[in-house]
Amino acid sequence: MAETIQLELVTPARIMAQKAVQMVVVPGVEGLFGVLPRHAPLLAGLERGIVEVHEDGKITDRIMIDGGLADVSGESITIMAERAIDLGTADSAALKETAVAANEAEADFLNAVVAEL
Amino acid sequence: MANLKDLKTRINSVKSTQKITAAMKMVAAAKLRRAQEAAESGRPYANRMRRVTANLAAKADVNSAPALLVGNGKSATHLLVVISADRGLCGGFNGSITRQTRTEVTRLQDEGKTVKLLMVGRKSADALRREYGKQFIDSFEGIQGTSVSFSDAASLGDTILTGFEAGDYDVCTMIYNKFVNAITQEITLTQLIPAEINAVDDSDANVNYEYEPEEDELLDTLLPRILSTQIYSALLESSAAELAARMTAMDNATRNAGDLIDRLTLVYNRTRQAAITSELIEIISGAEAV
Repeated sequence: MAETIQLELVTPARIMAQKAVQMVVVPGVEGLFGVLPRHAPLLAGLERGIVEVHEDGKITDRIMIDGGLADVSGESITIMAERAIDLGTADSAALKETAVAANEAEADFLNAVVAEL
Repeated sequence: MANLKDLKTRINSVKSTQKITAAMKMVAAAKLRRAQEAAESGRPYANRMRRVTANLAAKADVNSAPALLVGNGKSATHLLVVISADRGLCGGFNGSITRQTRTEVTRLQDEGKTVKLLMVGRKSADALRREYGKQFIDSFEGIQGTSVSFSDAASLGDTILTGFEAGDYDVCTMIYNKFVNAITQEITLTQLIPAEINAVDDSDANVNYEYEPEEDELLDTLLPRILSTQIYSALLESSAAELAARMTAMDNATRNAGDLIDRLTLVYNRTRQAAITSELIEIISGAEAV
């Protein structure tokens, strides 16, 4: 089995994802970057974009985040995002509905997610 | 001596009160479970945020560090953010927050500082409005309680930040009830500005991080976030504490009502027997007189 890196994606409300994966691609403020096992320690600001989780050479999860922070060490990557939605399970109709009731920042993000679906 | 009918009415009214308090207790207990879960699931984010900020703050240059971290060099005006509940009937929950706030305001004013208040929750705002109404800069309702959303905490954080940047106050402290367990709440004061960041104790601090973008820039974007995170976890803690306080208070009330019913029933039975006895005496002495 190939070497893995422990991914953790936390939002203020809960832990969104926690598992060992092969590679994670995250939207840094200075451009997309991939994180593989044994990555050098890095603290990076993130932009709104999609976190791609790679397992077994395929993308298994795509999670949209609304900016945040990534804390990378050799064995783990922790992504802290204020808002995050898993694109695999998101339902655009339900999101649109929530967006109507939500405040400006939240609605803006939700609409961006809907556009991505 | 109270007559029988009055006693009966009294007993029935206490019984219905008991039903209400028992129901409120059960509602609070059910909600408490959820609030507690929410408070607990909010902790990982807050902890990681704190760790990263501490790491960055340790590396930041003291002279050029953002004002949010080191303060703006003055401490003339204090802002107190007071988090209480919107609803009553939760024992000493709101009372103790109000009392602590009053002590704090008095202490700061004795030191010759100006105090401003930002009230979250209706109860403390109502209690303090008459005394300190002029010092309120804003008051919020309905953002804490059963459903706390991060957006609300973030907008509260923005309000505080805007005021700080405009120079309305120099130091900001938050007062709230922290949830310890179902029967204990602890009043906690947290300093928000300048950010109070505990030094990291693990070896992580020595890791040579690369930063993207530069440390200062990263710190600038991070500090407002940690402010919102702190407010968010305070709101979560406070709602769990409120429900716990309500549960305990209603449990006591239910038990008291039970005691009262027992006592009243005893009086009721005695009175009833006394009435029967006196009727019998009347009949017997009537019969003897014939």
